[in-house]
Amino acid sequence: MKYVIIGNGVAGIHAAEAIRQLDTEGSITMIGDEAHDPYCRPMISHVLDGSVTPDRLPIRDAGFYDELNITPVLGKRVTGIDVNNQTVFIQEKTGSSSMDTSHTLMGLICKLLSVLLGDDPGSETGPKDFRKVFPYDKLLIATGADPRPVKAEGLNLKNIFYMRTQEHVSQMLEVLPDAENALVLGGGLVGFKAAYGLLRRGLNVTMLIRSGYPLSMQVDETAGKIILDELLSHGLKVKTGTEVKVFEGTDRVKAAHLSDGTEVSCDMVVIGKGVLPALSFVPDKIQTDLGILVNPYMETSIPGIFAAGDVAESVDISRKTPWVNAIWPEAVNQGRAAGMNMAGRQVAYKGSLSRNVIRIFNLDVMTAGIVNPPDDPSYEILSSRNNRLDIYRKLVFREDKLVGYVMVNSVEQGGILTSLIQNEIPVRKDCQWSVVSSPLSVISGQLTN
Amino acid sequence: MKQVVVHPERCLGCMQCMIACATAHSQSKILFSATLEDPLPKPRVHLGAGLYAEGFPNRCRHCEPAPCMLACLPGAVFRDPERDTVLIDPDRCINCASCAMACPFGVIRYYQDHTAPPGKTVAVKCDNCLERQEQGLIPACAEVCKSGALTFEETSDAMKRKTDVVARSVSADISQTELSPGFALLNTIRKAQAGLSAGN
Ligand SMILES: Cc1cc2nc3c(=O)[nH]c(=O)nc-3n(C[C@H](O)[C@H](O)[C@H](O)COP(=O)(O)OP(=O)(O)OC[C@H]3O[C@@H](n4cnc5c(N)ncnc54)[C@H](O)[C@@H]3O)c2cc1C
Repeated sequence: MKYVIIGNGVAGIHAAEAIRQLDTEGSITMIGDEAHDPYCRPMISHVLDGSVTPDRLPIRDAGFYDELNITPVLGKRVTGIDVNNQTVFIQEKTGSSSMDTSHTLMGLICKLLSVLLGDDPGSETGPKDFRKVFPYDKLLIATGADPRPVKAEGLNLKNIFYMRTQEHVSQMLEVLPDAENALVLGGGLVGFKAAYGLLRRGLNVTMLIRSGYPLSMQVDETAGKIILDELLSHGLKVKTGTEVKVFEGTDRVKAAHLSDGTEVSCDMVVIGKGVLPALSFVPDKIQTDLGILVNPYMETSIPGIFAAGDVAESVDISRKTPWVNAIWPEAVNQGRAAGMNMAGRQVAYKGSLSRNVIRIFNLDVMTAGIVNPPDDPSYEILSSRNNRLDIYRKLVFREDKLVGYVMVNSVEQGGILTSLIQNEIPVRKDCQWSVVSSPLSVISGQLTN
Repeated sequence: MKQVVVHPERCLGCMQCMIACATAHSQSKILFSATLEDPLPKPRVHLGAGLYAEGFPNRCRHCEPAPCMLACLPGAVFRDPERDTVLIDPDRCINCASCAMACPFGVIRYYQDHTAPPGKTVAVKCDNCLERQEQGLIPACAEVCKSGALTFEETSDAMKRKTDVVARSVSADISQTELSPGFALLNTIRKAQAGLSAGN
């Protein structure tokens, strides 16, 4: 059996490990754009804020590929899939200007690697072009997501960053010593983490957000305002409802002109306007929506081709509709499930659930599922706020099932609520309030039907 | 392999397990001096109250697969396969609370512990008292529990006992057997009391 995995992020890694557990014989090839040892992507924000050193990022050691008898092909981006002939290919013009410096560097490393590994030189079609074809029996697409690009003039100036990879953050760290004023575009998870990290590094940070508070996709207004207040009290400046038209500077960025006519001076910019599934190379034959659509066995519309992680779109447990939940724990679960199914053990994945936990300064916030339910009588919201203890709770029930929650502070037992949602456990109407005050009362077994 | 088995229906809520646990995880292992330690040792077994104020000794189940381990960002949560115990490496832990969001039992806490680098807040949970077990002792919570709510036994034995009880209770010939005679009465009284106070 020939397995090919595109993407060496956490979904790809877990899939490879699951395959190896069940199939010790088959060949596994992993093609990954990033040449680092497999690392923890969310932790790049901890590297930015200084709480973690870069050497703590790897989640598997250098021997990972060897130990599992995997053939790594690193520093290369898959450019297409031939569904009829069951092959994946990489075709690129090496040294082409469309690649940024990090890619050319990785290209070099990969070339070196392929020489060392004794790859067939015939697979390269000329001194300028690189083409390699990988046949597969089972294919996994685990290419994650790319930062959503923004439209503005002057994006080619130095010190304008995305924040998706270890490389991005190490570039940011290089300019930090000379930076004073930072501008962060977007108040989603990444923009928010960038702003927090730069505040912790002592910069003056201005954040541009669309709605009145950050993390509007993750939290409700009450929690959003609590988060905003915490950030403001640590010096964050926020501008809402405006965007950058033009970045100005000679070599490096110096200022940004906004759509409301104002100007913000900045010596570094982080773009955190969300992510888009990385599926530009995926042929039309494979059904996609925002992400690649998968069934409960993580298989796409083409048998034998699977998808997992940020690139995949599976049914959301709380929303009951296909949804891309681009989060680490789902990438892990989906990768594992995909791997097992690829290796022939049928394992149904029970669907994804959006969730996040955030710790900033003196604030802990945990959320999951639907936190801003539609105006529909089947939803019921129970909430409580204790200003003295700085505790806020909001539980969203649909009929007798919990479908979402927001917790501010004292979040230790939030996992009980997560599992209530994931396992779709009915909670008796007269007991739902008890869940707000004490999640533990759930496991003592008296509340559920 | 022997494990601590939780029998919530037998819990009186006396909290002896919490004190024994905190002492077992102190530096001195002696209750009196443990209260003077800095950082102050804390229990890793947590007594919760159920809907009717009945006690519930809540402790890590060392799940397989462990949701906390799969959710851990820095790879700090790991399984010791020989001792069937899920452990947290305080050096690697980054206190992100991803494990709290994943733990279906809500048994992980975050604080400074003497086993972690000084001044560092880390995730802490039950370690099956491995240190005590190495010395031939059983886990502190099970040792101190007088009502039999926490027992240390072969999990297969415990499973068999429970299955037997269930099997007997569905048999037509035999009248229903109480899982924990005596405790049922106590819990019925508690429920009645809770019902009364709710009615007021
Ligand atoms: C700053 C930041 C903070 C985050 N914080 C959190 C958090 O707190 N909690 C949380 O749950 N999630 C968080 N996330 C999201 C989390 O990192 C992702 O959900 C997770 O990494 C997804 O894993 P994946 O394997 O699907 O994709 P990725 O980790 O993106 O890995 C995919 C890999 O495939 C490679 N690739 C892409 N296209 C190709 C191609 N054509 N050919 C070859 N290789 C390719 C990519 O370069 C990449 O290395 C954060 C993300 C960022 C950027």
